[in-house]
Amino acid sequence: MNTAASSPANALTYHLDRAWRIFATGYSFASFGLGGLIIGLLVWPLVTLISPNTATRRSRMQAVVHLTFRYFIWQMCQLRLMTLTVENRDALLQPGQLIVANHPTLIDVVVLISLIPRTRCVVKDTLLRNPFTRGPIMSAGYIANSASAELIRESAAILRGGESLVIFPEGTRTTPGVQSRFQRGTANIALESGLPIRPVLIDCNPSTLTKGLPWYSVPERRFDVRLRVADPIPTASFLDAAPNRALAARRLNTHLENLLWQGAQELAHESRATTAAL
Amino acid sequence: MQTREQILSTLQSLFEELFEISADKVTEDAKLFEDLDIDSIDAVDLVVRLKEITGKKVEPEDFKQVRSVGDVITAVEKLLAS
Repeated sequence: MNTAASSPANALTYHLDRAWRIFATGYSFASFGLGGLIIGLLVWPLVTLISPNTATRRSRMQAVVHLTFRYFIWQMCQLRLMTLTVENRDALLQPGQLIVANHPTLIDVVVLISLIPRTRCVVKDTLLRNPFTRGPIMSAGYIANSASAELIRESAAILRGGESLVIFPEGTRTTPGVQSRFQRGTANIALESGLPIRPVLIDCNPSTLTKGLPWYSVPERRFDVRLRVADPIPTASFLDAAPNRALAARRLNTHLENLLWQGAQELAHESRATTAAL
Repeated sequence: MQTREQILSTLQSLFEELFEISADKVTEDAKLFEDLDIDSIDAVDLVVRLKEITGKKVEPEDFKQVRSVGDVITAVEKLLAS
């Protein structure tokens, strides 16, 4: 996409488009922060006040987060910052799923939650230390990321109770082009719950909001986010095949690492082929 | 009373059996988390097995400060002496 230098008119269009996207990105970040503030200071206290019990409050706060994120993604698409394509979206709506995704950009979690009306999510523990995000996140039933046995038990109980749970097993954003090692918590949760894993492959082309990039470093064009909701991975067979739980977790984890890596590679390949054909 | 070498050799076969980690990697200096990829869930399994092997009541506190294989050996030594 190095069209900038080809002619003065093209160059002008390119710079105007880029300037717009820097402005719109700044606006998006600001509105996201403001939205968080409104939820933290207004919506969350209100929901807490009018909910008869924690289960109702949890479900309502999950709806609040879902609708807010849906609006936010819609707004980013309207601002011509991004496009969103989702394959097999309906598969995300089945309750009681362990939903596991790769994590190429900052907004993956926003996109994913925007597609699932009710779900729990494993989040960075820093969000639970932030006074603005702590309340809403706790009441939505989101769980702090830790490698503890407690997290495994709690997550498995949630899944068996029929709620879905979103996890990014990389624990941090993917470094582009590098296959990352997963923390084994996800594999352990799957084995403990006895449920299959629902993999979601995410591609962002061109890459943006990756680790270590400031927000205003916008990509050379509008970015396309593509999600592919893949077939579930059965996990019980891993327990049967391994001599103990620790080894079953290691093997399932390796399987998951490879599956998400290869799936994401394929998706990226297809996405770039489609773009080139346009 | 067992020597540190004997405890290490027990640990080596335990790591092989539980986690498929080859014995040559399990040295006194090896860090559990960084070098051997043992997470806290694995540590729970490990403590359960050590309880069975030593026949002693193991408190999670005994393993709070454990970082390396050498630390595990020291903790087991203390357990056996108690």
